[in-house]
Amino acid sequence: LLWRRKYLWLIFSASWLLLVLLGAPRLRQLAIPPSLRPRTLTSWPRWLDQELLPNFVEPEELTKDPCPPSCSTRQWQRQRPGCLMETCFDTSRCQSHGFKVFVYPVGLTQPISEIHHKVLASIEGSGYHTANPEEACLFVLPGDALSPQLLPLWNGGQNHLIFHLHPGSWPDLGFDLGQAMLARASPKPETLRLGFDVALPLFPQSYPQRGGSRGQLAHLIPPPGEDLLAFESQLDARVTGSSNHLDQSTILIISDHHGEASEHHRDGPLMSEESGPRALGFSDNILLSCFSFQAGCIPVLLSSGWELPFSEVIDWGTATIMIDERHLLQVMGPALQELPPARILALRQQTQFLWDAYFSSVEKIVHTTLEIIRDRIFRAAARPWLLWNAPPGGLLALPTFSTQPGDFPFYYLQRGSRPSGKFSALIWVGALDQPPLKLIQEVAGSQHCAQVWSGIAKRGFPTPTYSHRGVTLIFLLLQKSDRFFPYSAIGTDAILSLDAHSSLSTSGLLSFVVWQSFPERIVGFQTQSHFWDEIKGSWGYTDQRPNEFSMVLMDAAFYHRYYHVLFTHFLPAPLRDLVDELSECEDILMNFLVAEVTKLPPIKVLQHAQGEQPSRDCISKFASWFGHMPLVHSQLRLDPVLFKDQVSVLRKKYRHLERL
Amino acid sequence: VCKEETVCVSMCAPVKYNIRGPALIPRMKTKHRLYYITLFSVVLLGLIATGVFQFWPHSIESSSDWAVEKRSVHDVPVVRLPADSPLPERGDLSCRMHTCFDVYRCGFNPKNKIKVYIYSLKKYVDDFGVPVSNTISREYNELLTAISDSDFYTDDINRACLFVPSIDVLNQNTLRIKETAQALAQLARWDRGTNQLLFNMLPGEPPDYNTALDVPRDRALLAGGGFSTWTYRQGYDVSIPVYSSLSAEVDLPERGPGPRRYFLLSSQMALHPEYRSDLEALQAKHEESVLVLEKCTNLSEGVLSTRKRCHKDQVFDYPQVLQEASFCMVLRGARLGQAVLSDVLQAGCVPVIIADSYILPFSEVLDWKRASVVIPEEKMRDMYSVLRSIPQRQIEEMQRQARWFWEAYFQSMKAIAMATLQIINDRIYPYAAISYEEWNDPPAVKWSSVSNPLFLPLIPPQSQGFTAIVLTYDRVESLFRVITEVSKVPSLSKLLVVWNNQNKNPPEDSLWPKIRVPLKVVRTAENKLSNRFFPYDEIETEAVLAIDDDIIMLTADELQFGYEVWREFPDRLVGYPGRLHLWDHEMSKWKYESEWTNEVSMVLTGVAFYHKYFNYLYTYKMPGDIKNWVDAHMNCEDIAMNFLVANVTGKAVIKVTPRKKFKCPECTAIDGLSLDQTHMVERSECINKFASVFGTMPLKVVEHRADPVLYKDDFPEKLKSFPNIGSL
Repeated sequence: LLWRRKYLWLIFSASWLLLVLLGAPRLRQLAIPPSLRPRTLTSWPRWLDQELLPNFVEPEELTKDPCPPSCSTRQWQRQRPGCLMETCFDTSRCQSHGFKVFVYPVGLTQPISEIHHKVLASIEGSGYHTANPEEACLFVLPGDALSPQLLPLWNGGQNHLIFHLHPGSWPDLGFDLGQAMLARASPKPETLRLGFDVALPLFPQSYPQRGGSRGQLAHLIPPPGEDLLAFESQLDARVTGSSNHLDQSTILIISDHHGEASEHHRDGPLMSEESGPRALGFSDNILLSCFSFQAGCIPVLLSSGWELPFSEVIDWGTATIMIDERHLLQVMGPALQELPPARILALRQQTQFLWDAYFSSVEKIVHTTLEIIRDRIFRAAARPWLLWNAPPGGLLALPTFSTQPGDFPFYYLQRGSRPSGKFSALIWVGALDQPPLKLIQEVAGSQHCAQVWSGIAKRGFPTPTYSHRGVTLIFLLLQKSDRFFPYSAIGTDAILSLDAHSSLSTSGLLSFVVWQSFPERIVGFQTQSHFWDEIKGSWGYTDQRPNEFSMVLMDAAFYHRYYHVLFTHFLPAPLRDLVDELSECEDILMNFLVAEVTKLPPIKVLQHAQGEQPSRDCISKFASWFGHMPLVHSQLRLDPVLFKDQVSVLRKKYRHLERL
Repeated sequence: VCKEETVCVSMCAPVKYNIRGPALIPRMKTKHRLYYITLFSVVLLGLIATGVFQFWPHSIESSSDWAVEKRSVHDVPVVRLPADSPLPERGDLSCRMHTCFDVYRCGFNPKNKIKVYIYSLKKYVDDFGVPVSNTISREYNELLTAISDSDFYTDDINRACLFVPSIDVLNQNTLRIKETAQALAQLARWDRGTNQLLFNMLPGEPPDYNTALDVPRDRALLAGGGFSTWTYRQGYDVSIPVYSSLSAEVDLPERGPGPRRYFLLSSQMALHPEYRSDLEALQAKHEESVLVLEKCTNLSEGVLSTRKRCHKDQVFDYPQVLQEASFCMVLRGARLGQAVLSDVLQAGCVPVIIADSYILPFSEVLDWKRASVVIPEEKMRDMYSVLRSIPQRQIEEMQRQARWFWEAYFQSMKAIAMATLQIINDRIYPYAAISYEEWNDPPAVKWSSVSNPLFLPLIPPQSQGFTAIVLTYDRVESLFRVITEVSKVPSLSKLLVVWNNQNKNPPEDSLWPKIRVPLKVVRTAENKLSNRFFPYDEIETEAVLAIDDDIIMLTADELQFGYEVWREFPDRLVGYPGRLHLWDHEMSKWKYESEWTNEVSMVLTGVAFYHKYFNYLYTYKMPGDIKNWVDAHMNCEDIAMNFLVANVTGKAVIKVTPRKKFKCPECTAIDGLSLDQTHMVERSECINKFASVFGTMPLKVVEHRADPVLYKDDFPEKLKSFPNIGSL
C-alpha cells in the first residue's frame, strides 16, 4: 500500500505539473477580451469536391467551333460600323512609295487660319511630304472647314487626315467625316475612334512653328520653399465648392474648356517643404504651359474623361500624377504627401523631356502625329515603348534603323548592354590620286578595327576591294554628303571617320575606349567653337577660343553608326543639298545633329597639335533651320589617367602621348 | 468566434462530471481511498478539460482552418428565381470609369489597394427547379479561390469596392441568359451593376458569336476574352485571355534561343476554308519552313484528339510541336479570343495574330508589339515576307517575351485574376499604378537594366553654383584654412560646416574667417561619418562639394574646373584622387588599389562634386546594413558612395586633374608601413563587403580623366581659363 501511495502521489504531482503547463497559456488567452483578438477573414470555401468540378469548357469543344460565314473579312466589314486602321485605311497605297504625305493646295478652299498654315508648313518641311498625289499614302486637308466632297481624291475620306485644332467643346465638323482620320485637340474619348483618330494637345494660334522655347528646368530637386500646389479643372461645382476643404493654401485655377483661367485663389504654400511638388491640374492648355513655363512643374491630372494628347504612344503615367476627380479630396493630400523624392525627380525630368520632344512647337506636334500614323501602318516596324518614352524621344529614334532599342546609342543603360567592341573606319579620300595607303595600314592594324571604307570623289580611281590583315577594305564613289550615308554593310556600332590627310596616332585607341563610355556622343580630337557675333548679329565659327569648344571635326572622330541614319533620313533634303553644293560643312551639320539629339557637347580627347582649319560660313544657316542653336560648349578634355604625372613613364599605358 | 468558445466551455464540463461519478465510486470503499480518488479525479478532470481545451476548440485562435468550410458544392443553398424577377438592362456601351464606376466605395487607403468582395455560392433554379447553369466550373472556382487568397480580398461587404458574383459566366454556352441575368439582379449589392465584375472567356453563341457576353448586365465591368473594338469599353472593360487547360496539364520547359525547325506553323483545327487555302498555298510555296497542321482523322482509340495534330500522314504531339516553330498562327475562329494563344505563348513561339479588331488580352498594360506580330486579315497573303523581314535577334527577344507573358499573366486562373484586379486597381489609384517596365520587362531584363534617376540630359546653369560641405571634428585651424581656400572659388554659393564633435562647441562667430558667401554651421547629434552625406535643407544647389577639413592643396582653378566638369556630368561623382578596385585571382576576392594606375573606378569623397540627390539616396536608400556598418567602422563612407552612385546610374566616376599628394588617410600613414597596410586591408574588406551586399560589382573602370582643354598645351598660360592646375 505504501508503494501504491507513493505511486499515486507521483502521478498526482505529475498531473498537476501537466495541468499547469498546459492550462496556463490557455487561461492567459482567455483573459484577452474577444474584441481585441485578431479578426479572421471568412474566405472562399475549399470545396470537398473541387477536383471533381466540371471544366468551364471541354477542350474538344474549343477546337470544334465551326467558323461562321462572318469569319470572312469582307462580310465582317459590311456588318460593322466604325473605323479601324484595318478597315478604313488602305495601307496598300503606302507599300510602293513608303509613307508619303500629300497636302491639298490651299487655293482649293476658302482662306485658312494662321495655325493651319503652320501645320501645312510643318508637313511640307518633313521628309514625308510629296507633291505628287499619285505616290501619296496620306492626304492632308488644308484646314477643317471645307466641304471635302469637292476634293478630287476624297474617295469617302479614305487615307485622309484632318487637323481639327479647336477645343473639344466646339461643334463637330460640318460635314461627314467618312473614313477620314481626325487629329483633334483634346477630344472626349467617346468621340475618339480608338486606334484611328489622334488626340492632339490644344495649342494657341500664336504657337511657334519651329524651335519653340526649350524646357527651363534648372533644379531637378525642387528647392525648399518653391512648392505650391495649383490645380485646374473643368468648371465644376463640386470642385469649386470644396476648395475650402483643401488646405488653406491652394491656387485654384478654374477654367472653362478653353483653358483660360477665370478665377484665382491664393493663400500660401500648401505642402510642407519636402513633399509638395509643383503641380497643376488638367486641361491641355494648362498642361502645356505647365510643361514649358513652369519649369519643373508636375501636372496633376484630374481624370474626368479627357483623352490625353498622343496617349497612344506617350505613357502619361510617367510624367503626371493622375487622380480620379471624384477622389480628389480623399486622395490628393495623402497621395502627394507620400510622393517619394525619387518619383518627384523622375516626374520633373519626364515632363521636361516630353515637352522638348513632342510639344514645344507646331512642327513637333505635327511630326509626332505623322509618326504615330506611320507606326500604325508599318506595324512590324513601329517604335517600341522605350523609343517614345525615353530621351531623345520618338521623333529622333527612327524605326527605319531598327526597332530594337539595343541598336541605338541611347538605351544601353536601360537594357544593361554595351556597344560592340569593334569599329569600322570610314576614310574620306576626296579627290586625291592615290589611296592613303599608310593611313589605311595604320587603321587596319588596330585590334578593334573591323572594316575600312574609303570614299572617293573622283571618277576613274581604281576601286579594288581587298583585305588587309583580315580587315575588309571597301572603296566607294561618293558625294560629300554621302559620307554619312547609312551603308547597311557597316556592321559595327562605332564608326571612325577619317580624312586622307589625318594621321591616327595610337591615341585612337584611347579615344575608342572613351567612346565606349559615351556612345551617344561624338568623340574626336580637333575642335572648334561657335559664338554669337554681336556685330553681324549672327552665329559665328572660330578656332580662336581655345579654352572651350562645341564641335569636333570629323577628320578623326568616333561616333555611333545610327547618326548616319539620322543624317540621311532625319535632316531635310535641302540641308544636305546645301552641303553638297558647298562641298563642305557636312561635319558641322553632323555636330548640329548630334547636339540636337543629345543636348550635350561632344568629347575631346588628347591629340597632336591642331592643323589648319578652314573658316566656313554655314553655321547660321543650320541654326536657322534648327530653329535654335543646339550646340553646347565644353571646357574639358579627356586625357589618360596618368598623363604628364610625376611617375615613371614605364608605368603609363599611353606613353607616346607624353611627348605631345 | 467568442460565441462558440463560451458554448464549448459550458458544455464540456458537466459531461465529465457525469462520467466520473458512476464509473469509479463503487470499487472504492475505504475512506482514505475515497479521499485519494477524489483528489486524483479532480486532477484528472483538470487534465482532461485542459486537453479538450488544447486540442478541440481550435477555433479560438486559428483562422483559416476554421473559416474554410469543408463542404461539397452540391450542398450550397438553392435559390429559386421567379420567372418575373427583375432583369438588368443590357450592357451600357458608353460606360467609362468616371461615369459608371462608383469610386467613393474605394476610398483612400495607405496601400492603394482596392477591396474585393465575393458573393457566397448559391445554386439558382427557375420556377420548375431546373438549374440556371452549372453551379460553378473548376476554373471559376480556382479564380475565386485566388482572389480570396490575395491581398485584394475582403469578406466585409460594406468595406468592399469591387464585387465579384460567384455566378459562373465564363462560358456563355453553359448558362441560360435570361435567368442568369435575373440571378445577377437579385445580388445583395447589385445596384444596377455598379462596381460588379464579371469574368467571361467564351462570349457569344452560334451563329453570330457576339464578341461580348450576351447576359444583360447593366453597368457591370466585364473581364472578357475575345473583345472586339466595338464591344470593348476602353478603360472600363478588361480584355483577358481564354484560359487553356493545357497550361496546367502540360509541362513545357522554356526552350533556349536558337533557330527552330519550322519558321511558321499553324495548329488550329477549325479554320475558315478561305484561311486554310491561303495557308496551304503558303505551305506549297515554302515546303520546308511552313507547316500547316490539321485534325487527325484516324487516331487509335484512347488517344486524346486534342493532344495530336496531323500533317498528311505525320502525327505530331500538341502542344509540344509549337516549340519547333519560330512563329505560330493565331487566327480567329468563331470567336476572336482563342485558347491557342495561350498554348503558343507557353511554347515560346511568337504568335502571328490575324483577327481584325481583336483587343489583345490585357492590352491596356501589356505591350504586344514586343511579343507578337499582328497582321490585318487582308494582308494575310503578304504575311510570309513581313515575317521574314524580322531579324533573328528580334525573333529571339519576342520568343522570350512571349514566354514571359505566359508565365506572368496566362498560365493559371490565378495569374489571370490577379492581372485583371491589378489593372482595375491601377485605374482607381492611377497615381500609384504599376509602371510599364514592371508589367512588361521579363525578370532578367529588370535585373540587368539600370534606370538612372538623373536621366534627363541637362547641363545645370553655371549661375547656380555649388554648396561646399566641410566635415570637421576639431581641427579648427586646418578647417579655417580650407574655408579660406574654398571661398576663393568663383562658383561657390554657400559653405556648410558639419560640426561632428559633440563634446566641444564650434568657435564663436567672430573667430570664423570672413568670406563672401553665407557660412553655416550644422551641429550633429552623433559623431558619424554618414553626417557628411545627409541631405541638409541648407543645401539649395544641385551641386555639392564634399571636402575634408584638411584638404588645402587644391587650387581655386582646380575646384572651379571640377565644378565645370560636374555640370557636364551631373549624374556622376566628380572627384580628384582616383582609386581602383582589382580582382585578386589568388585570393578570389576584390582588392583596393591606390597606386599609380592607368585606370580609375572610384574617387575619394574627401574632395568630390556630386548631385544633392545622392545625399538623399545615401541617407535613406542605401542597401543592406552598409550605412550602419560604415558608421560603426568609421571608414569607407567614400567607397559606399561610389558603389551607390555607380549602381543607380550605371556610369563611371570622373577623375579631374593630375594626381597630387593628398593629405588623406592613406597618405598620412606613410610613416608607418604597417598602418598603411592595415588601412589597405580594411578598404579591400569594404569593397568585398559592399559587393556582396549589392549582389554585384557596380563600379565601372575607365582609362581617362578630365583636364582643361589647354592643359599642358603649348599656349600662353595667362590666356588659359584654368592655368593653375596640377601645381603643388
